[in-house]
Amino acid sequence: MTRGDAHRTIDAVWKLESARIIGGLTRMVHDVGLAEELAQDALVSALEQWPRSGVPDNPGAWLMAIAKRRAVDHIRRAQRLEHKQEQLAREQEHAPEPSGHPEQDDVLRLMFISCHPVLPTGSRVALTLRLIGGLTAAEIARAFLDTETATARLIADAKRRLAEARVPFELPEGDRLAERVSSVLEVVYLIFNEGYSATSGDDLLRPGLTLEALRLGRLLAALAPDEPEVHGLVALMEIQESRSAARTGPHGEPVQLHEQNRGRWDQLLIRRGFTAMLRARDLGGPPGPYVLQAAIAITHAQARTAEDTDWGQIAALYGALVRLLPTPVVRLNRAVATGMADGPGAGLAQLDALNADPALRDYHLLPAARGDLLARLGRSAEARLEFDRAASLTRNAAERAFLLRRADAVADTLADAAATASGPTLAEAAERFLAQDGLDAATTRAYGQTLRRLRLALGDRLPLARLSADDVTRVFTTAWGGTAPATWNRHRSAVRSFGGWAGLDGLTSGLARRTDRRPRPEPIGPAALDALWSRTDLPVREQTFWRLLHESGAPVKAVLALNAEDLDLDDRRARSGAGWITWRSGTARLLPQLLAGRTRGPLFLTDRRPGPARTPAASDLDPETGRSRLSYERAEYLFKQATGSCTLRQLRSRNRT
Amino acid sequence: MRYLMMTKASETQSAPDEKLMAEMGRFVEELTAAGVLLATGGLDPAGIRLVSSGDEITVTDGPFAEAKEAVAGFALVEVRSREEAIELGRRFRGIVGDGESVMQQVFGP
Repeated sequence: MTRGDAHRTIDAVWKLESARIIGGLTRMVHDVGLAEELAQDALVSALEQWPRSGVPDNPGAWLMAIAKRRAVDHIRRAQRLEHKQEQLAREQEHAPEPSGHPEQDDVLRLMFISCHPVLPTGSRVALTLRLIGGLTAAEIARAFLDTETATARLIADAKRRLAEARVPFELPEGDRLAERVSSVLEVVYLIFNEGYSATSGDDLLRPGLTLEALRLGRLLAALAPDEPEVHGLVALMEIQESRSAARTGPHGEPVQLHEQNRGRWDQLLIRRGFTAMLRARDLGGPPGPYVLQAAIAITHAQARTAEDTDWGQIAALYGALVRLLPTPVVRLNRAVATGMADGPGAGLAQLDALNADPALRDYHLLPAARGDLLARLGRSAEARLEFDRAASLTRNAAERAFLLRRADAVADTLADAAATASGPTLAEAAERFLAQDGLDAATTRAYGQTLRRLRLALGDRLPLARLSADDVTRVFTTAWGGTAPATWNRHRSAVRSFGGWAGLDGLTSGLARRTDRRPRPEPIGPAALDALWSRTDLPVREQTFWRLLHESGAPVKAVLALNAEDLDLDDRRARSGAGWITWRSGTARLLPQLLAGRTRGPLFLTDRRPGPARTPAASDLDPETGRSRLSYERAEYLFKQATGSCTLRQLRSRNRT
Repeated sequence: MRYLMMTKASETQSAPDEKLMAEMGRFVEELTAAGVLLATGGLDPAGIRLVSSGDEITVTDGPFAEAKEAVAGFALVEVRSREEAIELGRRFRGIVGDGESVMQQVFGP
């Protein structure tokens, strides 16, 4: 056996055994990060010994034995001083295995930990692949098109969070079990989807990830066999995976379900999907979202040809799913199913309700589905615009090419007169508008942002002459409906300017100018102010800052941005942007104390130097002490602490007494 | 990737005892749970042979003379790598004792 062979063998064994080993160790040391380190130590021993001695007969048991020895050593070392703990370690070493299926339960507990709700989703995914799948950080990084360092950091961060939150290594019961299981299901399906419909990059499928997800799902089904949703998810994944060979064409382009060669569907996986579904059904209860999605997948799998598909059944299942999971994507799929069951008009009606949903603003499948329905209704010009939009929104190269081909295919069916003789398109006009002389760089950039959104939402090839105020209003509501008035007004004036240039008056007629309606905060009353000024327990920084805010009436941000070198103590004023911030005697008395001889750097500083994870800009650091500029959040917090519930803006409001 | 492991009948081997059956049961259960074992089964030695030549297809019932070369059982596994397939094969051979298996990667469907 060569060294390379041995390493590949060890890697294979590790992937098969790591979950059980790390699970067993976590039960001993109560810290999943430490458990993983100990398991890695055992792996290193194997890498040293196996190439010489050959792979042992039971490699898993070998690794476990070494790792357990390390764990016992660790417990002894860590608690050497306490005799009692020593005894505990000895007991641990000879402890009888717990009853039931201890190893299996350990793996399930490990799944719960790595999918724990205290972790952000990205960390859950990485940690699950790492601990349960036995993948290296490099392998995970490759699967998610990320760097190895970033992935390693994600995993380390996850372990730290788990340790800080003292997440127990437990098997919850009842409702809590179902809750934790559903958190695992979410992670597993996320991994599957990342592999199944790679969101970016050139490969449409990343098969490694779907296989890992399937394994995780099947494993979970064995560990938690009484949860119908687990079998539902397994059924869903088995059926989706059964189509993997058929869903891409020879050049890597996507092949839609109804055009797939069903002979290439993997009947073995389909049957496994059916079996899993039966298990879910046998457990009874109202069907959950995964069971419903699996039922939809199974309805497709049961149709021998695309024409045989029972769209009525599928639309009904989506109707049930929409009630449990009213996400925009589910509603979109339901509209597609309705379009098949009850005709494109009915589908389009359901889709139109989704057009204004901000969550779907950049979701390429919405215009793709609209394009499909419009094409079937014979509305080719609109269909082509939608396919164009879909193509400009997708991040996947193969999918983009496919959508552009569909756009071209519809274009071919268009009567050429209507298609060509209608003047410039939105894209052409927007580019000429932005290229005109007399626009400065900042304006061009700002207008460019607005017009890019219009083009994405309405399609590059929309004839300029057909751009209507209704279109503009719809785009604005979807894209910027929830933004601050200033943002809304900026985009509005960009479109007004564009409309004026293009000779399209009234483009913004459906858009009202917005005013800032945030109520001005009620100023703090004189009595409360006097009480505040007379307090002696406050640090000089707070006293000065609050006085300065109050006396100057300047914006909080501007005051925090002041530097020592900006101050003119004699004239009681400081340079702030193009203007001045001025103050009166209260601040003037305090400033020298606060400065204590400093002549440069931020006026208001934090108490401590920033931690290693934070790297503020040099201009926000005091050159002498390395402390950083006081942040708005911190300043607001301190004020709230001191006053109970007041905000800094209330202090700012001029309230001269 | 998938591998099909075919195990030949062994003439030296006695009938499987209870211990072997139990170990094998555990092994199969574990691999199924892990989602690795997709299908497995034993094969009837009395097979049917089909030979086509020109327009003619001849069907002959077994058993056949070269019985010891015949496949007695199979397992279809889904693995991450060739090495993982070999490792599973090693474990299987470790349980069944003397004899021979052949593994081949499966393409398609």
